[in-house]
Amino acid sequence: MTKNFITIALPKGKLLEDSVRLLNHAGIDCRSVEEDSRKLMFELTGSEARIIICRPTDIPTYVEYGAADIGFVGKDTLVEQNLDVAELVDLKFGYCRFVVAMPEETKPPKLADGSYDLSVLNHKRAATKFPRVAQMFFSERGMQVTPIKLHGNIELAPRVGLAEMIVDIVSTGTTLRQNKLVEIAPIMEATTRMIANRVSYRIKYERIQGLAEKIRELI
Amino acid sequence: MERSTLGLKLPEGMRDLLPGELASLEALEGKAIQVCKNWSYQKVATPGLEYRACVEPDANKEDRLYKFFDKNGHIVVLRPEFTTPIARMVSARQRGGIFPLRYCYSGDVYRNDSSRYREFRQVGVELVGSGSDIADAEVIALAVEIMKALEIRNFQLSLGHNGIFSGLAQEMNFSPKLREELEDGIARKDMVKMESVISQSELPEAAKDLLLSMPHLTGKEDVLNKLQSWNHIPAIRRAVESLRTIYLYLKDFGVQEFVSLDLGILRGFSYYTGAIFEGYLPGIGSPVIDGGRYDGLYSDFGINLPATGFAVNLGIMIEQLQDYEVENADILVYGQSPGAVIKRCRELRKGGKKVEMALGYITDTDARKMASSRGISELERVES
Repeated sequence: MTKNFITIALPKGKLLEDSVRLLNHAGIDCRSVEEDSRKLMFELTGSEARIIICRPTDIPTYVEYGAADIGFVGKDTLVEQNLDVAELVDLKFGYCRFVVAMPEETKPPKLADGSYDLSVLNHKRAATKFPRVAQMFFSERGMQVTPIKLHGNIELAPRVGLAEMIVDIVSTGTTLRQNKLVEIAPIMEATTRMIANRVSYRIKYERIQGLAEKIRELI
Repeated sequence: MERSTLGLKLPEGMRDLLPGELASLEALEGKAIQVCKNWSYQKVATPGLEYRACVEPDANKEDRLYKFFDKNGHIVVLRPEFTTPIARMVSARQRGGIFPLRYCYSGDVYRNDSSRYREFRQVGVELVGSGSDIADAEVIALAVEIMKALEIRNFQLSLGHNGIFSGLAQEMNFSPKLREELEDGIARKDMVKMESVISQSELPEAAKDLLLSMPHLTGKEDVLNKLQSWNHIPAIRRAVESLRTIYLYLKDFGVQEFVSLDLGILRGFSYYTGAIFEGYLPGIGSPVIDGGRYDGLYSDFGINLPATGFAVNLGIMIEQLQDYEVENADILVYGQSPGAVIKRCRELRKGGKKVEMALGYITDTDARKMASSRGISELERVES
């Protein structure tokens, strides 16, 4: 394996297609990735690179340990996991927002400035896939809210009394509407990022920075 | 009492070392310490427990310490590194010392984070009481010599400087908020955040360009030329001159080929004030060497001394290093009379041999089998 060989971790699921397209345009021929959806590893002989396909939430881990030199992953996952990786480029796709949402009928009263009065939510519970993000948001406001970690179908929690509210990512808001939830506070926005292992970024600087710059020109 | 399920496990991030594994670690540690001693660094030890107030004075800071309470209700921690404890020790016991002091150490450090090894062996040095560039060059050269002594070939050392950012921050009068945001961005290595903070700031264009280009100033001496236009800022000029001088000395030390200049070393602003450096090994995701100048730390302990040093994170690279052999016994002693066997073993040990004693009588055939399976070359049967 030459010094410039890189391993790229891509998230399976909805970000994969955009990621592959971007890499193709940036000169890393990974058409083979699109052809076979069950394979997990692709050697790109012409490009001195290989692609591994990972669960989106695992990508920071692969990169932090250096098993992958670079990866594409949502800022939402990065913030939640808080791992030691270098964040190089905002790829702008995969846009979503973190919000606090509640059932229509229990939403808090509004304050004079039009925002919801979050202070009435003290001592309540928030169901979420992102307990760290939720905890940071509430504790920065001096609020005592208990995050309840779930792995999916967060919208169910308020309907059966597991939690009073949810903290989740929304892209269009359809899921919230279908479940009769309303957004009561925005937390932050997130898009897909190109990340790199901190050591790889220094020892394979030219290769990785070259790729980052090509990608930056494309977005 | 029989152990519960938990009692059979190890806490996360901890590991046991079997004889072969420990032999490798200790062999490496011994080689590294020997190099330090050849450079006149004397070995010291500090305790495993320190007050939190020593290693992390900021009570509000999120930390990665293993913490306990002592009987008086004070917070004590397992040492996360040696540099600060050594500063405490020097300030308490070596105020009248003959500076510069050259100390080395080896021991385990503890970090309560999510990494694979939360207890790992470090070998390092501190050079206390010299603020000169040659002191920085000496410790960097020593770091390279240690890596060479460990027979690690493909490592790379990167040398940067914390004074460029802080010089710019001072000269341009960064607001506390801007400074905090940038430092946070640097500590998290979040270039996306840094870019947006920098481009939205009210800094002059040239300053924005410098901040944005710093992560990409990497290579040999020529990267320093790119900073020439900042010569009018004394702190930056000093930082660049000091890097140039250190780099030249590294040539005299015969180690320049292993070191590249890299102003993009991304590190939190903990206690480093001057030249900083990191060592990398392909395949290991975090630096195997951390080092640099920290001229402000000793004054926190009431004694104003410049200092520089580094730590080699031996424990995190152990799996990449060659195995060392466990030392086997020289001779196996067996026989029918326990008293006679014990007596013979004592004689042999007195004579400097490593002796294994068969526990109970074994036949000649079994003795041969036992010796060969344990790598023992000699056999002795004691007749009573």
